[in-house]
Amino acid sequence: MDARVEFPARPMRARAALAAMAFALALSACRAGSPAPIFPPGAQVLHLASLDDIPTLDPAAGYDVDSWMFEQMIFDTLIRYSDSGVDLVPDIAASWTASPDSTVFTFHLRRDVRFSNGRAVASADFKYAIERVLDPKTRSKGMEYYRGIAGAADFAAGRANSVAGIETPDPWTIVFRLSAPDPIFPHKLAMPFAAAVPREVVARYGEDFSRHVVGSGPFMLRQWIGGQRLVLVRNPDYFVKGVPRLDGVVEAIGVNEDLQWFRFETGAIDLSAIPPAVFPYVIKTSRLKALTMRIVTMTTRYLGMNCQMPPFTDVRVRRAMNYAIDKRKLVAVINGRGIPANGVLPPSLPGYDPDLRGYPYDPARARGLLENAGYPHGFTATVWLPADQTMMILAQSVQQDLALVGVQLKLKPVGFAPLLDAIRQPRTVPLFFSGWEADFPDPANFLDVLLSRAQWGANNDSWFYDPRFDALLAKAKPLADPARRFALYREAQRIAVADPPWVFLYFPVTWQIRQPWVHGLVLNPMRPARLDRVWLSPHPSPK
Amino acid sequence: MKLKLNFMEAAGAAMVLGLAFVAIFAPLLAPHDPTRAVAASFGDPWPPSRAFPLGADQLGRDVLSRIIYGARISLIVGVAAMAITLAIGVAIGLAAGFLGGAVDSLLMRFTDVMLTMPALLLAMALVTVLHPGLLTVLLVIGLVSWTQVARVVRAEALSISRRDFVVAARALGATRTRLIIRHVAPNVMPIIVVMAALGVSGTLLLDAGLSFLTLGVPPPTPSWGRMIEESTAYFRTAPWLAIFPGLAILYAVMGFNLLGHGYLRRRRRDASNR
Repeated sequence: MDARVEFPARPMRARAALAAMAFALALSACRAGSPAPIFPPGAQVLHLASLDDIPTLDPAAGYDVDSWMFEQMIFDTLIRYSDSGVDLVPDIAASWTASPDSTVFTFHLRRDVRFSNGRAVASADFKYAIERVLDPKTRSKGMEYYRGIAGAADFAAGRANSVAGIETPDPWTIVFRLSAPDPIFPHKLAMPFAAAVPREVVARYGEDFSRHVVGSGPFMLRQWIGGQRLVLVRNPDYFVKGVPRLDGVVEAIGVNEDLQWFRFETGAIDLSAIPPAVFPYVIKTSRLKALTMRIVTMTTRYLGMNCQMPPFTDVRVRRAMNYAIDKRKLVAVINGRGIPANGVLPPSLPGYDPDLRGYPYDPARARGLLENAGYPHGFTATVWLPADQTMMILAQSVQQDLALVGVQLKLKPVGFAPLLDAIRQPRTVPLFFSGWEADFPDPANFLDVLLSRAQWGANNDSWFYDPRFDALLAKAKPLADPARRFALYREAQRIAVADPPWVFLYFPVTWQIRQPWVHGLVLNPMRPARLDRVWLSPHPSPK
Repeated sequence: MKLKLNFMEAAGAAMVLGLAFVAIFAPLLAPHDPTRAVAASFGDPWPPSRAFPLGADQLGRDVLSRIIYGARISLIVGVAAMAITLAIGVAIGLAAGFLGGAVDSLLMRFTDVMLTMPALLLAMALVTVLHPGLLTVLLVIGLVSWTQVARVVRAEALSISRRDFVVAARALGATRTRLIIRHVAPNVMPIIVVMAALGVSGTLLLDAGLSFLTLGVPPPTPSWGRMIEESTAYFRTAPWLAIFPGLAILYAVMGFNLLGHGYLRRRRRDASNR
C-alpha cells in the first residue's frame, strides 16, 4: 500500500494478520437476543482476526492495508494484479489499449457485471468513482494519482462539472486522456481508489457509505460492528462463475498478534501472523513449518540520514554508517524475516538490480572513512524512531554496531505521526528509521517519490539532491519500454547508493501460517491476499 | 555506643550491602560487556548455560552481565531519588508542622492536591515532557513521591513543637531557626530514617515501572525494568529473560524493606523498654 510504512511490523500485520473466532459470533448473538446465525451449519467460513478495526470500506477513503484487503473483496477495478504477482490482468475491463506515447488509454468493459443491488456496472460508474476521488470535498488521499488526467485540475478547482479527459462514448467503453505521458497510468487504475461505486448508493448515504458499501466484487458486507467484527458473505451474482468458493469471511477485531497465535493453536482461526517469540519454534517444528507461507514484499526499510545536517553532509560519514551497521544481524534479530538490502529497490520489484553490491558489514572500513572525514573518535547522534518494542530492539542492535566505530547513538522514540511530521521539517531530524512500501511495481515509486528534489519537504525525508539523479529520473519517466526505462532507473539507483542518503537496512519478508484445511491461498508481494479462490476442506469446528 | 541489630535489620543490611557491592564492582564481576552482542542468540534467546549462566537475550547480550550492571542504575535511582524525595518532603513537612497556621494549611492542601494524582501517571507525564535520562528519572521520582514524607514529618513536627522542651526553649528566647534546627529536626530524624529505608524500595519499584513503560533510563544503559519490558514478547518461549531481572528487583526491594522494618521494630521496642 502506500507508502510510508510504519517500521517495522505494522504493514505486515494487516496483511499477515488474519484470524478469527467463532465464539465472538456466539457472544454477540447472546447480547443481541439470539438472532438467526449468519451462516448455516457446514458453511465455508474463513475466520480471521486483527488488532485494529478496519479504518474504512469506502474505496475513495481507504489508503492502508486493512482497508484495501476488504475493499478489494467488495469492489472491482477495471484491471487488477494477478493473485501472486504484479502483472496487470483484466477485472471488469476485458481488454485495454494504450497509445504509443502513453497519453491515451482505452478500456473495454465486460457487459455481464452487476452491482450487488442489481444494477449493471457501466463505464460511467468508473468515471464517477475517479471524479469522486478528485473532488476536494471527498478529501481522498488518492487524489494525487489522477491529477495527470486532462481536465482534472479544472474539475478539482470547480471550473468544470466533469473531468474532460475521461470519456465514456458508450456504457462499455472508457477512455482516459492524460496531459503528459505516463506509462504506469494503468497501475493507478488498479488501486482501489478507482473501483466502480454506484452513484445512487453514495448519494443516499454520503459519508456513511463506508458502512453501507455496495460493490460488484466477490463478497458483500453483511455486518460490521465497530471494534468487534466484520462479516462478509459471498456475492452469488459475482461475474466470475464458481467464485468465490467461500460462503463468507469473519474478521474478529481487537485480537493482538499473541492472542491470534493462541486462537490459531486452538483451531479457532484459519490464518495467523507468527509472533516473533514463537517464530523460531514454528520453523523448528516441521508440522507447523509446512503450513507457513512467505513472500518478499515490495518494501525497503532504511535508516535515513539528513543530508543537510552535519556530520551527514559528508558523504564519507554516510558511507561509513552503511559499512558500520551489520544488516545480517538485524535480519537475524527479526528471526530472519528479511533480506539484507543492497540498495533502494527491493528484489520483488521489476527493475531490481541484482548486480548492485551495496555495503557489506565492514567496521574497519567505516572507521577509516570516519577518520578521513575528520571524526577519528566518532561523534554523537540522535536517531528518531517509532516507539515500538521491536523497533527499539532493532535500534539497539544498530546502537551496538555504531558504538564499535565510535558513533554514540541516542534513541528518541516518538509516535508514528509526529515522526512523519518532524522528518518533513528541514534540518530537524538527523537520523531516523523509516520504510517504504510500493504503490506500483515500478522503480519510479521509490526513486522519484523518495529521493527527487521535487519531494523535499514531502517524501524526500533525507533531503537528498543530486542533479544527475534527477536528470535520469526525468529521462526515464515517459518511457514505456521496460528495458530502457529500467536501465535508466538502475543507473539512477547506483548514484543514490554511491552517495547514500540512507543506510540500506533490509527488505522484509512476510510470513503467515494457515490451518491445514485452508487451500488456495496465495500471497501477493504488493497487495493483501485475495480470498476469492480460497476453500476449506472438512475440519473440526472451533468451540 | 553498641549497635545491636535485630535479625531483620541484619538481613536487610546484608542484602543492601550485597547490592552496593555488586553495583560498585560491576566491571569486575560481570563476565561480559552488558551492551555488546556476545552470543549469537539474535532473535532466538538462549537458555541459561555454563557460558551464559542466566541466558542470552535476543540481541546477543549476556543477561547476567546486564543484571549486574542494572544494579548500578537501581541503586543510584533508589538512593538519589530518595534523597530528593526527602529534601522536598522534610522541608515542606517541617515548615508546615512547625509554623502552623496559614502556612500549614497552604502547604498541606497543596500536598493533598499532589496526593490525588497517581504517582506513576504523574511520573509518566513528567518524563514525557522532560528529556528522558537518568537525571530526569531521579527528579521526577523525587517530585512525585515527597507527599507521604511531608505528611508524616509534618505530623511529627507538629507534636514535637508543642512539647515542653520546645516551649521552654522558646520561652528562653530561641529564634525560630534555632528551634527548628536544634530542637525539632533532631527529634523528627528517626521517623525520617524509617521513611527513607522504606521509601527506597518504593522508588526502586517506580523506576522499574517507568523503565518497563520505556520511560526510564534510555538504552544502552541496562536497567531491570527495561529488561523485563524487552522480554515480554518472549515470555512464553524464553521466560528466563523476564524472571531473572524480576528476581533482582525483588531482591533489592526486599533488602531495603527489611532494613526499614527492622529499624522500625527496634525503635518500637526501645520505646516500650524505656
